[in-house]
Parts: sequence; C-alpha cells; structure tokens
Amino acid sequence: MTPEQQTEKAPFDMDAVVDEITRFVAEQTRTSPEADQDLFTTGLANSMFAMQLVVFLEQSYSVTVAGPDLQLSNFRTVKSMAALVGRLQAESAAGSDV
Amino acid sequence: MSDALSPGDADIWRFVGDNAGAWDIAGEIPRTVLSELGAAGLLCAEVGKRYGGLGLGSQESGTLTAHAGSLCSSVRSVMTSQGMAAWTVQRLGTRDQRAVFLPQLTSGRLAAVAFSEPDAGSDLGAMTTQLRFAGDTVIVDGSKTWITAAAYADLIVVIGKAGDDAAAVVVPTNAEGVSIEKVPHPIGCRAAGHARVRLDGVRLPAANVLGGTGLSLPFLVTTALAYGRMSVAWGCVGILRGCLGAVTEHARSRHQFGRPIAEHQLVSRRIAELYAAERVATAVCRQAGERWESGSPDLVIATVLAKHVSATQAVHGSASAVQIMASAGASDGHVVARAYRDAKLMEIIEGSSEICQLELARHALATANGTVRQEEAQ
Repeated sequence: MTPEQQTEKAPFDMDAVVDEITRFVAEQTRTSPEADQDLFTTGLANSMFAMQLVVFLEQSYSVTVAGPDLQLSNFRTVKSMAALVGRLQAESAAGSDV
Repeated sequence: MSDALSPGDADIWRFVGDNAGAWDIAGEIPRTVLSELGAAGLLCAEVGKRYGGLGLGSQESGTLTAHAGSLCSSVRSVMTSQGMAAWTVQRLGTRDQRAVFLPQLTSGRLAAVAFSEPDAGSDLGAMTTQLRFAGDTVIVDGSKTWITAAAYADLIVVIGKAGDDAAAVVVPTNAEGVSIEKVPHPIGCRAAGHARVRLDGVRLPAANVLGGTGLSLPFLVTTALAYGRMSVAWGCVGILRGCLGAVTEHARSRHQFGRPIAEHQLVSRRIAELYAAERVATAVCRQAGERWESGSPDLVIATVLAKHVSATQAVHGSASAVQIMASAGASDGHVVARAYRDAKLMEIIEGSSEICQLELARHALATANGTVRQEEAQ
C-alpha cells in the first residue's frame, strides 16, 4: 500500500494482466468472468470487493490507486482494471504522480 | 511501541488515564490535550514522516490505539476520526491536497469525517448532502449527525453526493454556513465530541474536493471506513485491557467471605472469560493488521471481522467486568463503567454489528469452500 514500491518492471503485458485479474476474481467469487463483463451489474462485485480489487492491483503491480482513479468505472470489468494498471505503470515510469 | 510512546508521550498518556473519568462526567476533553496529542502525531499515527506524521505501520498504530482505548475511549474515538480523515485525504486526495491537509493533521489541528445523516445511517446510499459546482467554487448543503469529534474539529471531511456520483470535501468548521451542535448526552464515549453538523450553502474552493468528482458512493464509503473499522477494533481491545487491569487488581485485593473474591469460582470464571475476550480480540486485530501490512486483498474482510468480533467481545467482557467490580465500579467515570457504555456504542458505529454480519455472510457465501481449502493448505 506504499507508494515507494517502484521496482524494475517487465514491459506491460495486457493479456497476462487480464489473465491474472480474471484468476483473482474467480478465486474470490467462484465465477470466472469474461474480460469485458460488468462485475457490478452482474452481481459478482460490490463495494467491499471493489476495495479488495484496489488492494490486489496495488500489491500485484506495484501501483498506487488513489484520488481520481478510485472510480468504480475503473473496476467495472477485468479489462478496465488491466487498462488502469497499464496506465498507472506507464505514469510511474514517466515519473509523474497524481 | 518505543517510537510511538517516547518518555514525553508517556506523560501525556498518564495525564489521559488520570483524567479520563472526569472527562467522561464532564462530557468534554480539554482542547489543549487533544491539540497536544495531535501535534505529537499521535492522533493519526500512520501519516508518513514527510507530512510530519509518525509513519507507523498498521500493527504499531493498532498497539497505540489499544493503549489509548485502555485509558479513555473518548480520546481513542477522536484518534479514530482524525486517523480516518487523514486516511481519506491520503487515499482520495491528489498529491497537492495531501501536501496541504496532512501536515495540518499532524500539527495540532483536529479533524472528523461526516457520513451519517438523520435519515441515512446504515443506509448511507440515502444521504442527501449535496455538492454543487459553480466555476472554481463548490457549494455544500446538508445535515450530518452523530459525527464523532466534530465538536472539536477544525476540518470536517464531508461525504456527499455530486449529481449521480459521490465526493468528499474538506470543510473548515469556521467557514460561513457551518454550524455544529453537540449531541447532548451520548450513552458512551461521552467526551468524544459527537455532534450534528449543518451545512447551509457553504461555499469553498473546488480544490477542497478530494480527488475531484466521479467517485461511487459505496466505494468511497468502504474505502474511508476501512481505516475507521480497524481503529475501532483496536479501541475495543483497549477497552478489554482496561477492564482486565481493573478487574484483576480488584479481585486480588477485595475480600468477601474471608478470602479474595478471585478465589470464588464464579468470579474467577468471569476473569477467565474476560481474559479470553481480550486475547481473541487481540488475535483477530493482529491478523487483520498483518493483512494491511502485507497489502493482502483479504484486509478488507479481515477488517470487518476484526471490528465485529472485537466490539462483540468488548460488550461481553465489559459487562463481566462491571459484574465483578460491582459497587466499586458502578459509578460513572470508573474505568469499567465507561467500558460498559463505550463498548455498546462500538457495536453501533463504523458499521453496526448487523451490517458487519451481512458483509461477513456475503463473503462466506461467495468464498467459503475456497477459503477453507486455502486455510488448510497453509
């Protein structure tokens, strides 16, 4: 949960991240979601689970999800989460911060 | 604890312990005491050193919170509010907002977080506090109630709706249109400064809206409450430790029927139960704290579990403590009398026991088989 977790990272692999997030959601909900399935309207996720997702992404990808990025739309689908991770890693590589 | 409880701090805490009973009866903690605790960084101990905080990890912060809670649940409630305000700024705010607000919270200014409203308690989705934007200004209207520490606060993080979304805005209590009215006679944590907060056309810079708009209300609330629940859970550990200290001393020294009451089996059974309650609450808090420190997603549900279990244990344990102390502890202000009333409030705030149970049941239903397998595999 600390911002000081930046380390050397492999290039961002969207497909691998989608797979990892899908696996996490499946473990936690016993349902394997489609990458573009809305987790909230289909009942897989609620606000508690959304926060678990925040912590999961932060821990797994050494990013900090804070401020304006804590929008539900970023967590709505596996794909939107993977995109968020990609953007946050690119931003931290570029040395910018919210 | 050595970092968070330097010799200077030990003096502050001794003063808190010596005066907690009087503050409970007066329904007020002297402002200078809270400012001193705040300026020492003790009210929001997890804020990083770069913002003037102590930078404690979740476990050390929990130990500190339990220590405060063992002495005075009103002071501990103020800590919970200040810590939750800081956490919300840290989590939702931009870098600039963190730089503006966090140093204030470690230098003696006091803060609260306002969720609940007269018609929106457990059902926070029903809140009606509104934020409207007009250029660089945000206008806040609404009414919040039972806001812990609001009677002392310089800043209140107000959660409200902005159109279809939610937002958190930092409201200075001296802004025009803010009025604060203390809850007259709370059942517990009587000196924690619970108050009603009215916001009547309060105009503030839009820069006070943490992280901007577009947040979802349940998400925002869950995020902000996570810290508060952990803090309340450790506070309940403190309540139990305060009871255990008073009860063991009393049971050794009080004689009835020709021997210390500790030697009467019905009394000693209650002591065993109180000891077990303190150990159980400590264990469940430590387990959640480990999740926080390792950044495990399980921290979310572990925190709900810690809050629920600790509050329940504190209610049972403090009732036993009053029973053992009997007339010696049956006056307002006494540590076990306060514990008895304060613990009950802990089953209500920061997600009632019933709300916690709904969340625990939902989690169990979604994951139970998998969890059992995982735990067994470890």
